[in-house]
Amino acid sequence: MKLTIERAALLKALTHVQSVVERRNTIPILANVMLTAQKGSLGLAATDMDLAIVEQVDATAAKTGATTAPAHTLYEIVRKLPDGTQVQLEAGTDSVLTLRAGRSRFTLQCLPVSDFPQMSEGDLPHRFQIGAADLKAIIDRTRFAISTEETRYYLNGIYLHAARSNEVEVLRGVATDGHRLARVELPLPPGAAEMPGVIVPRKAVGELRKLIEEADSAVDVELSETRIRFALGGVTLTSKLIDGTFPDYERVIPAGNDKMMEVRCAEFSAAVDRVATISTEKSRAIKLTLGKNTLTLSATSPDAGSATEEIEVGYDGAPIEIGFNSRYLLDITQQITGADARFMMADAGSPTVVRDAADESALYVLMPMRV
Amino acid sequence: MAEKQVRKIIHLDMDAFYASVEQRDNPELRGRPVAVGGSHRGVVAAASYEARKFGVRSAMPSVTARRKCPELVFVKPRFEIYREISRQIRAIFAEYTPLIEPLSLDEAYLDVTVNLKNIASATRIAQELRERIFAETQLTASAGISYNKFLAKLASDHNKPNGQYVITPAMGPAFVEDLPVGKFHGIGPVTAAKMNRLGIFTGADLRQQTPAFLQQHFGKAGPWYHAISRGIDERPVVPDRPRKSVGSETTFAEDLVQSSDIEAGVKAMLDDVWAWCEKTGTTGRTVTLKVKYADFRIITRSHTSPAPILLKPAAERICLDLVRAILPTEKPIRLLGVSLSNLSQTAAIPPGQLALNLA
Repeated sequence: MKLTIERAALLKALTHVQSVVERRNTIPILANVMLTAQKGSLGLAATDMDLAIVEQVDATAAKTGATTAPAHTLYEIVRKLPDGTQVQLEAGTDSVLTLRAGRSRFTLQCLPVSDFPQMSEGDLPHRFQIGAADLKAIIDRTRFAISTEETRYYLNGIYLHAARSNEVEVLRGVATDGHRLARVELPLPPGAAEMPGVIVPRKAVGELRKLIEEADSAVDVELSETRIRFALGGVTLTSKLIDGTFPDYERVIPAGNDKMMEVRCAEFSAAVDRVATISTEKSRAIKLTLGKNTLTLSATSPDAGSATEEIEVGYDGAPIEIGFNSRYLLDITQQITGADARFMMADAGSPTVVRDAADESALYVLMPMRV
Repeated sequence: MAEKQVRKIIHLDMDAFYASVEQRDNPELRGRPVAVGGSHRGVVAAASYEARKFGVRSAMPSVTARRKCPELVFVKPRFEIYREISRQIRAIFAEYTPLIEPLSLDEAYLDVTVNLKNIASATRIAQELRERIFAETQLTASAGISYNKFLAKLASDHNKPNGQYVITPAMGPAFVEDLPVGKFHGIGPVTAAKMNRLGIFTGADLRQQTPAFLQQHFGKAGPWYHAISRGIDERPVVPDRPRKSVGSETTFAEDLVQSSDIEAGVKAMLDDVWAWCEKTGTTGRTVTLKVKYADFRIITRSHTSPAPILLKPAAERICLDLVRAILPTEKPIRLLGVSLSNLSQTAAIPPGQLALNLA
């Protein structure tokens, strides 16, 4: 193969591709990106065996063909080339890739294309389109709650499924780490009604989120019981799905919480952040004490001292004291874009529901802490 | 908060450390009064037991020492050697607990309430430590075992040299009662004289004073005197540097060859490490497996998880993956070790956090 490509276009594609490639690999071929020169384009592909990325970029091919080269090394080289450079890539039969740009010349060891793992395609029977902004909203508002606990692997992703909410068909994204839960719903896109519930792994979520940042059009989604594929702006991301059953999360979302507090979100977040300065690094606990239209936030630490702050809120229920992990509170309030947040509480030992007062699409459940 | 457990603190003190090292390395000095330090100017840094019989003490001006003991042999200190031995000793301590607070090259406090060998008896740990120190350095040490630092330090002096002594919680207050105030930690000659003037000569006298009286005469040290006269000392053992890793290793009585035995050995090491982690609320990201073969060649294999490992089954799976990569073993294995590093406290689930009732 032999081709010429603009440095910026190559760098952009390599940025996406090298991010999928694991830094430390026991299987050498997985450290490589597969380069395929076609007429008028260059194809780049990489995989970690769970997640595969394929991207097409414009290029001028003098000779079609394919090879594989170390992805991180290639990325580093291209990143360091001056902007505006034309990059020439050439590979013959001697398992060496030669890169020429300006006065630089690099040769990289290649591995045969035949070693490169092909992710079994299979059939992806369910297809729908979703707006980039909508997909971004689902990811941003749920990913903070994804569990990192390896033993509860079925919580290591976002559960995506079709559901009915108040007689409306919706697409839901749900994530939980067992202490808090985030649920976001959007009108169900046409074609998604029959889709199975799937758990999209954290790494795929992360890579997808980076790609959405650059795309503003629609994202094509195709999926089966075992795989999901996202296509956007010339990039295709295919991921294995987590083979597990997402727990019946509906049962932990309380419906009968009667103690409602409305707070100005920015003011509340700032107060939580200030008061939490005192709480111990280990627990991060703060206490909320509610009386009529006033909320007292407090924290004590045997080492550091104590803090209290009172803010005005909307509250008409019985007085209540309830403790939370301040970091979890802030994770949630950061997702609320409206001016006010609404807390629905029951007691200090039961889940609290938090919502954006102006936006019903997202719901958060948070378990208290004993303080 | 859980009820406070009675702590197990060991104060370990090398016997006439510098002088003993010199006598160890130079047979001619054995049995003779030796002082480490400059012979003309300066002070005695350490005195051998033979020299102490003549009244030679550390920190005594060399001139005074020579007057007390004319045959005293002065030896120039070799701090490099002492530091090296000190490192050796601390490495032994570290096998038992990461909570080591060195006071100097030759003494340290150890908190063994929770320890890596899962030995319940601090007395036995002290015994083992002293035996190990002697086996590795041919030097003797004394140990004091008690439920706080103050009493542990008093206890280590009780059967010195080459002995140990325990002060149990039941004995603590009585032990303090008969003690002259000058022997108390934090009471120097000036304060002792002042106390004597106030009619306070022993721990029992001190205990009779009200907190207000002690506060009035001794200012902010008052509450401390009030506490120690009752054998109370809450000061924690503070390690001198942040702990970087926690590990356990064992040399087996017979070399291991069978894969099942090797896997069981690795699991046992992880059990020790994990028990310590659970008790102390610690977790880590990196698991390292250490293997020493019968020919003494050592290999290590490690795995770093993207997030702190919160559950034991996850840690166990990593350990087994690491060990299975070298099984079946090419050579018999004499030692196995497992350690956890990249430690953190914050990533652990904070105490008090309630869980959602997920199925």
